[in-house]
Amino acid sequence: MKILVCIKQGSEDGEISRFDEFALEEALVLKDRFKARVDVITAGPESAVAVIRRAFGMGADQGIHIVTRDSGFVSAFVTASYLAAAAEKGNYDLIFTGIMSQDMMQGQTGPMLAELLGLPCATGVVKNYLTPALGLVPIEREMENGCRDCLDIRLPAVLTIQAGSLLPRYPSLSNMLAAGKKSITTLAQGDLFPVPVKPKEVLITIECPEKTRAGLGLEGTLLDQARQLKAFLQEKDLV
Amino acid sequence: MKPILIIAEVMDGCIRPVTWELIAAARVIRDLIQTNRAGGKRKAAQIAVIVPAQDPVPLAREISSLTKVDVLALKVPTLVAYTSEAYKECLAPLIQELAPSHILVAHTSQGRDFAPGLAIRLNAASISGVNQIRSDGDGLLYSRPGMNNTRNMVLRPEPGFPLVLTLTPGIFLARPCQVKDPGAVMVREISFGPKQPVRMVHQKIARRENEHQALKKAHTIVAAGRGIGERSNLESVARFAKYFSASALGASRPLVDMGWIGYDHQVGITGASVAPRLYIACGISGSSQHLAGMKGSDWVVSINKHPEAPICSHADVCIVADVIDFIRVFLEQEDALQGKI
Repeated sequence: MKILVCIKQGSEDGEISRFDEFALEEALVLKDRFKARVDVITAGPESAVAVIRRAFGMGADQGIHIVTRDSGFVSAFVTASYLAAAAEKGNYDLIFTGIMSQDMMQGQTGPMLAELLGLPCATGVVKNYLTPALGLVPIEREMENGCRDCLDIRLPAVLTIQAGSLLPRYPSLSNMLAAGKKSITTLAQGDLFPVPVKPKEVLITIECPEKTRAGLGLEGTLLDQARQLKAFLQEKDLV
Repeated sequence: MKPILIIAEVMDGCIRPVTWELIAAARVIRDLIQTNRAGGKRKAAQIAVIVPAQDPVPLAREISSLTKVDVLALKVPTLVAYTSEAYKECLAPLIQELAPSHILVAHTSQGRDFAPGLAIRLNAASISGVNQIRSDGDGLLYSRPGMNNTRNMVLRPEPGFPLVLTLTPGIFLARPCQVKDPGAVMVREISFGPKQPVRMVHQKIARRENEHQALKKAHTIVAAGRGIGERSNLESVARFAKYFSASALGASRPLVDMGWIGYDHQVGITGASVAPRLYIACGISGSSQHLAGMKGSDWVVSINKHPEAPICSHADVCIVADVIDFIRVFLEQEDALQGKI
């Protein structure tokens, strides 16, 4: 059983984007249960290698780093193309991603990667009942209003993992000490795609979201603010 | 003009109301394209809805009679329930044949699941979670949230590709009503499986019943988020909730995930959608899934340390303070007023 987890750098150096950390935890649980091998892959600048080391600390086995020069907005299609090119020959039974990244929040990289690899894909997965003997992964994916969509998926498959009750483990000292011996395959963007992958969307600008309500700010000390809130609640007949 | 296509959202054999919003958004897109073109006298783009289902004709009639738009009933005899595999397989050839400029899908658990893969299959541009559509003279621009919901990213698709959009529910509001001149209903049958290797098999939809009763009945909801810091601080938020009559204690998703409080208290798309008289968000940053679950509240008060938190754009009153300190001071003041101190 070989599992690949796609991870992205979070807001701070060396930090794994929150949802990807949950995806990695999910994979590491399967490693413990089925002796699966868990590799991680990231596409990003030289500094992104830090998230692979972090993943080693948590228990991942091997890393793939696609060194990219893209900055700012990166189309999910471009990222998915890099990941697909690198993952193609790995013969992975399962590929996990977070449900979305913290910064771009597109939720597209996972399902696009699946399509590029020709694999079935389920998003927002909250439970999996991997059964390697049957080559099957029954899953539950989150729907609206607390409902769950239950389906059986044939391996190999791509799952995007929703943050759930399983908290990501902290890197352990023994894993961190062993991390130096683990191998990281470094691939250059140009090796994978001599002709660069072109995005089909471009970022024009970044804006502050429009206010939907007045957002009256209360001033002064805590006591002043408490009094103003009370006055507001009384005026609107809410107390 | 290339047509604008909408993929209706079907669940449990019914049209989901978000479909009306997709039609409203398609009209916005059509009108913006029309205004953008010099002269504007040419025929406007046609709007059509595709309804994939086992028995789509009644659903297609429902849509056409409520909206005037043309509907393509895509009959898939084996389509017992949604799977991304079946949808992509059935929809892609039909969409390619119709060569649309836009394909509109709901940004829901279903739409988010199949739209990105469909875009790849169609060699289309793809923008998810769209919350605003506008034109800058050079063409259409699509806004979507990013950076933990604190910013909107405005994107332009490259010309020459069809564009798959998933649209955030609750933005493009629409009220469908019976029309005298319904659109045309066309039927197309397509087979999926059992000859193809089907790799995703739907089992069931697991439902939770009768939860969130307390939240739904409450006139005031005081809800806690990660900003309360520690689990033990839930007590002071609960005390604050009790200050209000007919109140209930709510929570954002991370608190439920961490096991600090039960699912019965969860507000948001994946929890309860609520609309109380008063909603007080305590240390809640305001993810879009949380905001969507409480935006129907009459009045919203936010207490949060961070003035940048997205919730501040969606609250009537913003208190920038440590929420636990604020609650303490507020309740002390009330006790003093009632002569308890």
